[in-house]
Parts: sequence; structure tokens; C-alpha cells
Amino acid sequence: MISFIRNYIIFLLRCARIAFIGDWRYYAWMGALTIICLLGLNAYAKQLVHGLITTGMSDEVSWGVYIANFTFLVGVAAAAVMMVIPVYIYGNEELHDLVIFGELLAVAAIIMCLAFVTVDLGRPDRFWHLIPGIGQMNFPQSMLSWDVLVLNGYLLLNVHICGYLLYCRYQNKKPTKWFYIPFVFLAIAWAVSIHTVTAFLYVGLGGRPFWNASIVGPRFLASAFTAGPAIIIIALQIIRNFTTYRIKDKALLTLRSIVQVSMIINVFLLACEVFKEFYSGTAHSASAKYLFFGLHGHYALVPWIWTAITFNLIAMVILSLPLSRGLRWLDVACVLSIIGIWIEKGMGLVIPGFIPTPLGAVVDYRPSFNETLVCLGIWAFGFLCYTVFLRMSVPILQGRLSKTNEGQIESEMYKLT
Amino acid sequence: MAKLDPSAQKKSDHTANYWLGGLTAVFFSLTIFFAFNSKPHVAAQPEIPLVDKKFLDTSPWRQTYADLVKAKEDLSDYDCYACHDKAKPPRIRYDTNQKIIIPKEHANIEMSHGTHERNNICYNCHNEQNLNTLQVRDGNVVKFDNIPQLCGSCHGPTLRDWEAGAHGRTSGYWDRQLGDINRLSCANCHNPHAPDIPTREAAPGPHYLHEASSHEPSKSHR
Amino acid sequence: MSRRSFLRGCAAFGGVTALAASLAPLRELGDYTNTEQFLQKYYKELTPSDMTKVITRIEGEVERQYGIRPHVRDLKPMDGVEFVYALNLTRCIGCRKCVHACVKENNQSRSPEIQYIRVLKMPHGSMDVEKGNHNYDSKQVPEKGFFYMPIQCQQCKNPPCVKVCPVNATWQEKDGITVIDYDWCIGCRYCEAACPYWARRFNFTKPQIPKDKINPDMSYLGNRPRKQGVMEKCHFCIQRTRVGKYPACLEACPVGARKFGNILDPNSEVSYILREKRVFIQLKEEMGTSPRFFYYFDK
Repeated sequence: MISFIRNYIIFLLRCARIAFIGDWRYYAWMGALTIICLLGLNAYAKQLVHGLITTGMSDEVSWGVYIANFTFLVGVAAAAVMMVIPVYIYGNEELHDLVIFGELLAVAAIIMCLAFVTVDLGRPDRFWHLIPGIGQMNFPQSMLSWDVLVLNGYLLLNVHICGYLLYCRYQNKKPTKWFYIPFVFLAIAWAVSIHTVTAFLYVGLGGRPFWNASIVGPRFLASAFTAGPAIIIIALQIIRNFTTYRIKDKALLTLRSIVQVSMIINVFLLACEVFKEFYSGTAHSASAKYLFFGLHGHYALVPWIWTAITFNLIAMVILSLPLSRGLRWLDVACVLSIIGIWIEKGMGLVIPGFIPTPLGAVVDYRPSFNETLVCLGIWAFGFLCYTVFLRMSVPILQGRLSKTNEGQIESEMYKLT
Repeated sequence: MAKLDPSAQKKSDHTANYWLGGLTAVFFSLTIFFAFNSKPHVAAQPEIPLVDKKFLDTSPWRQTYADLVKAKEDLSDYDCYACHDKAKPPRIRYDTNQKIIIPKEHANIEMSHGTHERNNICYNCHNEQNLNTLQVRDGNVVKFDNIPQLCGSCHGPTLRDWEAGAHGRTSGYWDRQLGDINRLSCANCHNPHAPDIPTREAAPGPHYLHEASSHEPSKSHR
Repeated sequence: MSRRSFLRGCAAFGGVTALAASLAPLRELGDYTNTEQFLQKYYKELTPSDMTKVITRIEGEVERQYGIRPHVRDLKPMDGVEFVYALNLTRCIGCRKCVHACVKENNQSRSPEIQYIRVLKMPHGSMDVEKGNHNYDSKQVPEKGFFYMPIQCQQCKNPPCVKVCPVNATWQEKDGITVIDYDWCIGCRYCEAACPYWARRFNFTKPQIPKDKINPDMSYLGNRPRKQGVMEKCHFCIQRTRVGKYPACLEACPVGARKFGNILDPNSEVSYILREKRVFIQLKEEMGTSPRFFYYFDK
């Protein structure tokens, strides 16, 4: 038992150590991220002192880019499952070793989600009121309490799966199936649930007709399953280019077909929604009018949504053509769909739900500088986490960092390339 | 990016050292920046002026005869026979359009009770026989301090609402066991000669949170 | 290699220093919270002696901040009472006196401005709030061709705000008033998104009330001054109505358009109105919220 704990602590220490070591590109990248993180943290400290007045939010538009980013990132986290399904259900070989990168991305995304929710709170000092047992959790009534449970549960599941598999690889042991396979299947169901619950957060509000539509849930899943694997493709491309870790083209192309199908479904669902809003022309389409065409002289979101739609359409066309079997084009399509969906789910879903207000007032929302800094800080922190996770896991998966070379001169295996 | 030859390796090491040194410098400058800058990056909020006191005044618009009696104020205006002759009830005169001619002694009276100026006979309410009292159409005499009975003789449903507390201003206690309800009388709000509520100035409208920073609220779209 | 380690150390040290410095604004946190407040239990779990302590703390805080010793009470709902509000749209002239009487009574922030009541200027012939004008600025109200509709918390029987609150910081009491425990709210603003009547307000910064404008007659769930970062809304003037008085907005209304009382008492004004008047409206009835706030016309 004691030796087990000792080994595990050594494992953690070596992982922590390696996170601080790399070549100049690594230092430049990590340094830049740290600087942005610190600027964000500083901005958040100001927000804590002066209140959310430092953001662009108001009683009219009471959620802004924080919750928008949160919503997007829940989707990214949920999408890790899109790599797990082919591997564990269909026995896909190409993706087998790459699943762990998807799950690590999920962990980083959930960390960012939790950060975005926290910065959105007016009284973060009272977070403990949410903890079941010592606080008061309005479960199962409040969708937000569901969200807290499923997000934290998903975080734990993924940390367990990744941590266990990596530690086994480090020890050169074969992982015990019953110790992670049940969790993998649980995580698949759980991933769908985190995104559905997040969609229900909006869908459940009868007073906001723009959200109170059953299509929001399916659209959330479709857009998540587009943006998530797209991000994983980009991440794998980076791993391929900056480390010696070998990733086959075929793996990327498997992911491509996932992005391809999801994007087509996503655009189709968008078309369904647009038809419903504009053909019937009921009073309930005011938010959609504001989003797509502007309302009563307010056009704040119009350029955003048309950019998103243009990007999504271009991405869909590229993905549907054989052209995107070329990895350069695939990269372009992925980047376009990531940006397109980020806008569509953030500026395109969260903000217009508030405009006009239930009393018909039209007040624009524009994120403030301080708010933008906080967002950038959290994104940088997420990238920092993911980079660190990759920095640790790549040498472990390659066998360069393992229990057998514990005593060895470490400089050799710390090398990035 | 396979194996680098030793000289390239050395060069790469140097670059890493420069980056680390640079980062250290940047971190320390950030420290200084943070230490001297704690103002949030938002426009200072404009101070919203306090609302004018007149909009907080909740006193009745008008005082009734009963109020004047209670406040022991000058009631000489209600002593009609200081000017009029008890034996000679004043005659009402009309112009060629059948519009009432208001004598200059009563120039402050605006006669607009009812539509089409049909309700233009003073003795609909004032008692011809005793100007210091009022009278209901059935001939019952009403004192100046009992106006609801007079008004209610024509405005029955309104009187019924008023008695139930559903018409007119109330204050005090909704729970009659804990305190009294204070109910204003007809003439506290309505001028008997021109009972329509006059228009008045509205108190200032809402101020928006980010008015200063180009978040112009929707000005009236109507 | 040792030079590299040294430089890494320098960078790490620099990073930690910058991290500490980035938190410098927190020096100005001031009375954001304190141990007693941080550890305070949930309202419904407070024993009477806990409540006495909490009230003493609040009175002390108000006195320190505003230089006036308030009288804070924890008023419980009365038995056999369910409050209902009725507003006569035929009478309302849109003068907004209720708005400002409410601000004064309930210690709302003056700058930035928090108001529980929003008056809409509506064109004749529509109950669609989207046609309403919030910002009318009239020298003479009422204007011809319009009616005026004040909107505040509707004290719903099925309140969506209560359903969505993740920490039970808002709930419906048995007299029908939906209240907020300002010391329990975490400020997530989910209730604000859920309310179909836009009745909830958030303290985006520390509320500002001039010292001489404080109303010292306070209640815990009612008009005691709020903190930065929590929700608030109309609570039918708990500090008045739970001791039998009318709410402040009612008394301020110059035309008697506002009526309030106990619907369980058949002799109350509101019982009379709901019985006798023909045209009364629950705003956005299709939401299924079943408001205790009724609009009616009587002419």
C-alpha cells in the first residue's frame, strides 16, 4: 500500500515537473498563455470588487459572453464522446490511442465551463450554498442544479478514465477492464446528458419564446458534435506537428466524417428553426428578427449571425466535397466551423433570448473590455491546462516517461521532439 | 523534427534561455502594472439625480369642506349669504347658445360636469332654497361635508364601488382589525364643477445601467 | 543546464509575483462579506435565537454604513391571508408616482437605479407589451389614445423564478408573496431570465442610497438594504402589509387605481373587484404562472 502511494506520488511529481520543461516554443506559448491568464485574473479581481457593472450585462440582458462561452464549451466537452463511441462500440482501431486526447480536451473544457459559471456569479463567495448536504440544492427542480451535478460528474468520470489509463501506461500494466470500461460507457451517456441538460436550462424558460423551443436541444447536440471533433482535429494536427507522436491520416479522416455529418444536420436544424420563426411570423419571432435583421433600429447581432451562417455554410460545402480529404482544407473547414458555431451558440443563442425583454424593451448588449479580458483569461487558462495535459500524456503514451526510467537522467525524455 | 545536430541543439537551448529571460522581465513589468492599476476598464457611471420631491408627495389633490372643518380653516367661502340675499335665489342666465353665463364673482368656476354641457344647472346640486347646503334630485338636503351621498345620487355604481373601497384612494390599513382605513372623499380628487381628472406631469422615466457607454436604450418606437 | 534551471526559477518566481499582484484590486473589497455573514445558515434553518443574532448584525451594518439605527424585523405571514393586487387600467394615468414611492419605501439603489415597477404606455386596442413604451417623457399625462400599464412582480401561484433557483434562495410564502433571502442568493440571475414579467432586478454594483433617504422600518425578507451581487424584487412591501398596512405604491397612487387586500376575506376590496368587475386580466395568462396581480377595466 505504502509503495503504491509512493509510486503514485512520484508519478504525479514527474508529471508536474515535465510541465515546466520544454524548448523555446513551449516556453513562448506557455508564457503568452500565462500572461493572458494573469490579465484575466486581474480583470476578474476588479469585477469582484466593483460588481458585474464592469461587464456589459444589465437587467435587460442579464447573461452575456460568460454564459455564451460556457454553453459552447459544454458542447466541446460533450463531443469527446464522439471519439469514444467509434472506439469502444465499433472497435475502430485508428482512433483507439487518440481517445485519451479527446477525453483530456473534455477535462480542460469542463474546467473552463466551471470557471465561466463562477465568474458569472454575483456572489461567488457563496458557492457553498450549492453543495448538497451543507448548502441547499434545489434538486431536481432547478435545471442549474442538474447542470452543476452533471458537469462535476462528467469531470470526475473523465479525470478517472484518463488518469487511470495514463497511470497504467506509465507502469506498463494492462488496464483492468472492469475498472474503466463501465465508466467509459457511463461517460458516453453522461456526455449526451451534460449537453441536453444545458440545453434544457434554456428550453425550460416559458417566458423566453426564443429558447422555449424543443429544437434547441437537438441543435445543441448537432453543433457540439460538429465543433468538438473539429477542435480535436486541430489539436491532433498540432500534436502531429510539434511532437514526435505519430497520428495517422486515417484517424483524422474518421473524425472528418463525424464533423461532416454533424455539420449537415446542424445546418438543417438551423434551417428548420429559421423557417418556423419567419414563416409563421407570430409575435414570438421578435428575438429571431432582432438576431437576423435587427429590431427597431437595433442591429448589434446582425453582423455576427451572418458571419456565423456564412462560415458554417462554407465549412459544410468544404466538408461535403472530396476536397477536404486534403488535410489543409480539412483544417480550414474545422476552423470555420469552430468559429461559426461559437458565434451561433454564444452571440446567436444566449443574447437574443433576452432581446426584446419580456416587457418588449430593446436594449443592446456589448461585452465590456474588462469582461472580454476575463473571457480571454479563462480561454488562456483552458489552453494552458490542455497543453500541460498533452505535455504529460504524450511522453507517457510514447513510453518515454514510465516507471522503468524513474531513476534515469531526465533531460533526455523531457525533450519535446 | 527528428534528431537535431549538436550545434542546432545548442542554438535552440540559447533561444530557450532568451525566452525565459524575456518572460521573467514581462512578469515583473506585469507585477508593476497590476500594482498601480486597479480601476476597472469601464466608463464612470453618471450620477442619476434624485427624483424631485413633488413626485413623492402623496397628499390629496384637493381639500374638501370636511377637510377644511377638520383643519379649522377659513370657511367664509362657503357662507353664500355673505353676498347673496336669503330671500332671492340667484337666477341662472344663459347665452344664445344655451351656454351658462358664469358671473364674474364666480369666475374661478369652470363648468364642465358631464358631456355636451347639458349639466349646466347649478341647482342640480346646490340647494336653491338654502345655498349653504346641497340637494339631491329627490329633494333631500345634503350638507357640504357629506358629498358622497350627493354624487352617488347620480353615480350609483361608483358610490357602490367607493363604499366597497374599489373606487377612489385609500390609505392606512387593509386589515381593519389592526387599524383604520382612510378613504378619501369624491371632492378630494374630483372638482365637482369639472370632475375629469386634470392631466399632470409624469415623474422621470427609467435610467439604464449602461446609458453612458453607448448602450442607448430603445427610445420610444411609438 | 544549471543556467537553464536558474532562468526557469526566475520565470517561475516572476510568474508567482505577477499572480499575487494581479489580485491587487481585492484590497478594495472592504465589507464585501465577513465570517459571520459567510457562515450564515439558510433562512428556513435559522432558529429564533439565530435570527436575533442575524438581525443584530444587519442593524449594525446598516448603522455603520448609513449612520441610522434601523428597526429590522423578521415578519412571518399571517394566518388566513392570501394577498392579491388589482390594478384599474381605466384609472391609471401613468404618472409614475408609484415607481418612486416604491423606491423610497424599499430602500432601492438610486444610482445606479433599481426600480421594481415599470410603467408602460400602451396604445389603445392592444395588451401586447411589445407595443408599450417604457421611456415616455410626458409633461402632461394621460395622453389621448393611450392607456398606462404598471408592471411589477405578479406574485405568481406557479412562479418560474422559484422553480429555477439552484439554491432555494427564493420561495413562495403562504400569504402568496415570493420572497428572496438576500443573504443566500448566489447571484446567478437564472430567476431573472426565467421571469416572464421582467420583475427581478440585480445589484450590478454596490447600491447607493443617500443617508437621509433610508427608510429605517425594515424587514429581513423585505426592504433591508441589499448587497452587491444579489437579486431583489417587489415583495408587496412585506414590512407594511404583514402588519396590516397597504403597500406604498397603493398609497401613492393619486387616482386610486391600485387595490390590495386579502382574497380569502370576502369583504376585502380585491374580493369585491374580482367578484363584481367583468374585464380582468392576468398578464401573459398563457404562461401558466397564474399571477396574484390582476388588471381590470371598470368603464
